Amino acid sequence: MLQTLRLLLPALIPSWRFFDEIAPSPRIEFTLLKAAQDNPDRWQEFRPRPVRISIFSMLKRMVWNPNWNEFLFLVSCSERLMENPTEHSAQEILKRVVVDIKRSSIDSVATPYVQFRLVFVSRSGTGLQRNIAFVSSVHRYSESADL
Amino acid sequence: MSLDFAVRITEILLALAFLQQSIEHLQGPKDEQHIFFPRIGLSILLLLGFQTQWVCVALVMNGLVILKRFQGPYNGGSDRMSLLILCCLCLVHFMPTLRWQEYIFGYLALQLVLSYFIAGWVKIVNSEWRSGRALEDVFRFSAYPVSEGLRAWADWPRLLCLMSWAVILFELLFPFTLLSQPTLIIGLVIAAIFHLTNALLFGLNRFFWIWLAAYPSILWLQQRIFVAEFL
Repeated sequence: MLQTLRLLLPALIPSWRFFDEIAPSPRIEFTLLKAAQDNPDRWQEFRPRPVRISIFSMLKRMVWNPNWNEFLFLVSCSERLMENPTEHSAQEILKRVVVDIKRSSIDSVATPYVQFRLVFVSRSGTGLQRNIAFVSSVHRYSESADL
Repeated sequence: MSLDFAVRITEILLALAFLQQSIEHLQGPKDEQHIFFPRIGLSILLLLGFQTQWVCVALVMNGLVILKRFQGPYNGGSDRMSLLILCCLCLVHFMPTLRWQEYIFGYLALQLVLSYFIAGWVKIVNSEWRSGRALEDVFRFSAYPVSEGLRAWADWPRLLCLMSWAVILFELLFPFTLLSQPTLIIGLVIAAIFHLTNALLFGLNRFFWIWLAAYPSILWLQQRIFVAEFL
């Protein structure tokens, strides 16, 4: 209870320091494995953003935007994993990755294991650099219960 | 605008914002649905004005469960503003005198002003924001642009520098809009357009609706301070 009240305090006395600095930005990537001990060779971005979005879709998202808001929550979880690592943040990311895999046409029998990693993108001179900051343990997703 | 009327409008706008947020969670994991179904029911009661003081208490309790579930806010600033408005409404209902009710509702209005002013202050003291480089970074590599196409905006540094200064100056000058009701209304319209732009470009739709819910408090406070002073 004390912990929950501690979480409430920043809402009652907010700092309002929006975008005070543009920190390295996390990307969640995952890989599918045939066996738990396999070395991952191909990582794919989790929920890559579309190339274009119509103005109609943007306006629709004013009232119905669950996927994007969930994505922003996962960005928070990724940042929390770096600042104050907890099992909660890792599990929140893993759960959503597994849900998306199960909803896709991926063959869970051929590749029953999943692993995710966090890549932080930041400015480096005139270009961008990518740093792998976190790699999760391997998880057998094909046996996990539906959420 | 009377305090009662401003509080009621805030309740209605907050209820609508909560309904929008909560319905989005119904496609999420089952444990989230179990938290957000009651929130939908409570928001409808708040919208209808039924036993609002107790509904606010129940919504605060529900808000604490949500905080615990996500180990913090689900959507950063918008969740914090949601809880701030909710707690202020709750306290307003339980304050023993009109004076204390005004202090609490005034605190909400003050926080709304600070939400712009402090956001402007932290930007103007940062050379990256003053040069437009920070906004360039937002578009080039941050997680926020809703499409890859929007990242091309990073190739327009002069435009982004201009936009940065427009945002900084607006945020810093916002407290001065309190000087009269017309300037405040103009300020709030510009602020709403700012939130709408953020919602369209960066998908921050929840910010738009929840900040609107705090506007009645500042409209009330402006009238309370400046109109009452001259009567």
